Amino acid sequence: MTLLWLRLAVLLYGVAALAVLPAALYNRPRWSQFAVPAAVGAAGLHFVSLAEMLNAAHRRMPVEAHEVQSVLALILALLFLAVYWRYRSVSLGIFVLPIVFLMAVLAAFRPGQESFSQPVHTGWVILHIVLLLAAYGGLIVSLLASVLYLIQERRLKTKRSRLHRLPVIDMPLETIDQIALKTLLFGLPCMTGGLLIGALMAQADYGVRYFADPKILLTFGLWIAYVASIFIRRSSGLRGRRAVYLSSLVVLVVLFVWAANQFSVVHKFPTP
Amino acid sequence: MSQMTQQRLTIVKPAAERTSSPAGTLVLIGVNHTTAPIEVRERLSLSASRLPDAVRTLTQQPGVRECLIVSTCNRVEFLTWQDPEYGGGNSNLLRFLHQYYAIPANSVEPHLYEFRDREAIRHLFRVASSLDSMVVGEPQILGQVKEAYTCAREAGTVAGYLDPLLQRAFSVAKRVRSETQIGSSSVSIASVAVELARKIFGSLQGKTVLLVGAGKMSDLAARHLLQQGATSILVANRTQERAALIAGQISDQVSAQIAANPNALGCSVEVVAFEQLYQEAARADIVVTSTGAQAHIFHRAHGQAFMERRRNRPMFFIDIAVPRDVDPAINEVEGCFVYDIDDLQQVAAAHLADRSRESMAAEKIVAAELDKYQEHLEIREAVPAIVTLQQNAEAVRQAELARAAKRLGELTPEQQSAIDALTKSLTAKLLHPQIVDLRKKSEER
Repeated sequence: MTLLWLRLAVLLYGVAALAVLPAALYNRPRWSQFAVPAAVGAAGLHFVSLAEMLNAAHRRMPVEAHEVQSVLALILALLFLAVYWRYRSVSLGIFVLPIVFLMAVLAAFRPGQESFSQPVHTGWVILHIVLLLAAYGGLIVSLLASVLYLIQERRLKTKRSRLHRLPVIDMPLETIDQIALKTLLFGLPCMTGGLLIGALMAQADYGVRYFADPKILLTFGLWIAYVASIFIRRSSGLRGRRAVYLSSLVVLVVLFVWAANQFSVVHKFPTP
Repeated sequence: MSQMTQQRLTIVKPAAERTSSPAGTLVLIGVNHTTAPIEVRERLSLSASRLPDAVRTLTQQPGVRECLIVSTCNRVEFLTWQDPEYGGGNSNLLRFLHQYYAIPANSVEPHLYEFRDREAIRHLFRVASSLDSMVVGEPQILGQVKEAYTCAREAGTVAGYLDPLLQRAFSVAKRVRSETQIGSSSVSIASVAVELARKIFGSLQGKTVLLVGAGKMSDLAARHLLQQGATSILVANRTQERAALIAGQISDQVSAQIAANPNALGCSVEVVAFEQLYQEAARADIVVTSTGAQAHIFHRAHGQAFMERRRNRPMFFIDIAVPRDVDPAINEVEGCFVYDIDDLQQVAAAHLADRSRESMAAEKIVAAELDKYQEHLEIREAVPAIVTLQQNAEAVRQAELARAAKRLGELTPEQQSAIDALTKSLTAKLLHPQIVDLRKKSEER
């Protein structure tokens, strides 16, 4: 049943990802009437599926790769809906919804095999995971908004070429820039809170050994990169191409941090 | 405007094509921007104050039961619902034109077009939907038709036939506007500039506009930007007095806006010395230039300096001057957007082409709505005959029942009820083929 809900959610994410294209690119607002309810329905089913899955596994935290993927997809979908609710535009969905769809497809059709057996403080771990995933979600949406800004900027600058005939995104540049910055700002407290909770738990369970781990060091490096990216954006008003480079750099660090799970001694999920 | 659907007064449709109803004939005559030069249109044009008198006079013409006059700068049209006995001719309308305007008929007749019944309804739907306008999709025409309707209704010249027809025309126009993109993009230079500014900044509230030079177009663009909520205007001109004059005119416009709408946002207007232009320009989000300078006023280096001082906040240059005031290379600076007069015209032309494409979808809506309305009319025309037939049959049934009651003597309530049901059923079955025939004939007609 869990997989059925998730697969239905995948279907609805697919519908939303397709319907958002005419709505955002061809100025056909009626298509938003399909895209937004489909995304809302998908997020609802997705949540039910996750809740059932974790309940069936007798734990409330996502630890398997496909579960983490699924939670991140749900957070991205919720961020898209939050942006829609605030700005009444589905433009961000051009990028966000296909990513959500792909992540949900992987979670729905290729469930992982990992198990989790370490003794942990369940409630705090859940908060740790959810906060960090929310921060990653904010970062991804910020990067996608920066890409959207770049496209819209190029479109407005190019006046007498074929590019001019391309459809226009129905969101002003300043709004896209606000979304890029606000999602980044939303991610900072999440990342700070998630890291603090993780650090305090690790201190209690493993002592100082934990903080010498390469994965943990890289994670703190990520936090510094995140703060630096916000500082640079705010102080210099970075937009367009350079903002995309900056956000991409931070996302790259996130990928390194995820990859470092494989080399970590203390922050690694054992496989059976 | 599709010329295919328009016929000059001299072309008379064959009788077989006419679809006038026995209850009356809908006749529309008029001139518009495609059939008549401005000299003719202005002679027929009626101001709002003269319109009530004109519709009353028109309705006094022989055969005219109801009427409406639409008078705009691009068209003057006379829509009438006429008696069938009168023959639905146009001589009464021509006489009205001749008498009311005191002009020789032959000076107007060659420019007049005429539509009847179905084609008149189609024309009305197209006019209200802005498909017959000079700029297809412009929103004003619907308001003008509504004003004409209000005036005619107050004068009592619109009633049972034209009233529902006009209501339908308004709903068709609404459908066209909501289901197509016919009016979604700007087609004038000033409104294109505003639309582009909105694509960059979203809301223009709190934005600063710098006017450099004093051209008519830049003044128009500034007025549009003001209406969209720009809250600060800087004016720079080589002649300080001229700058002060422009600033004064804009201040007057702001005062008029606030007087008309107390909730309207205020706007500060400031004169900037031309020598301080490069220091002050960085404050502006939108720069509108229209000087007579022979060389560029703003160069790429200026754009880079502005961006540095603005911490990369976007800046939009609207260059209406010829020769251009803004070096096109500024467009290459990240955050700077430059549109010259050709760029704006190109966008306007592209939008116009989009509207033409959308007008095809709109024509389909009009055609579908026309069919639906025609069907509604046909049913409406058949209804009185059907009702009369049913009333006559009922009278005969009641009379026969009364006669039979004398012969049958005392009946129980159950027996009375059975006879009543039997006679009703017989009457209905006998009438059914005739009612179907009436509806069919009405549809065929």
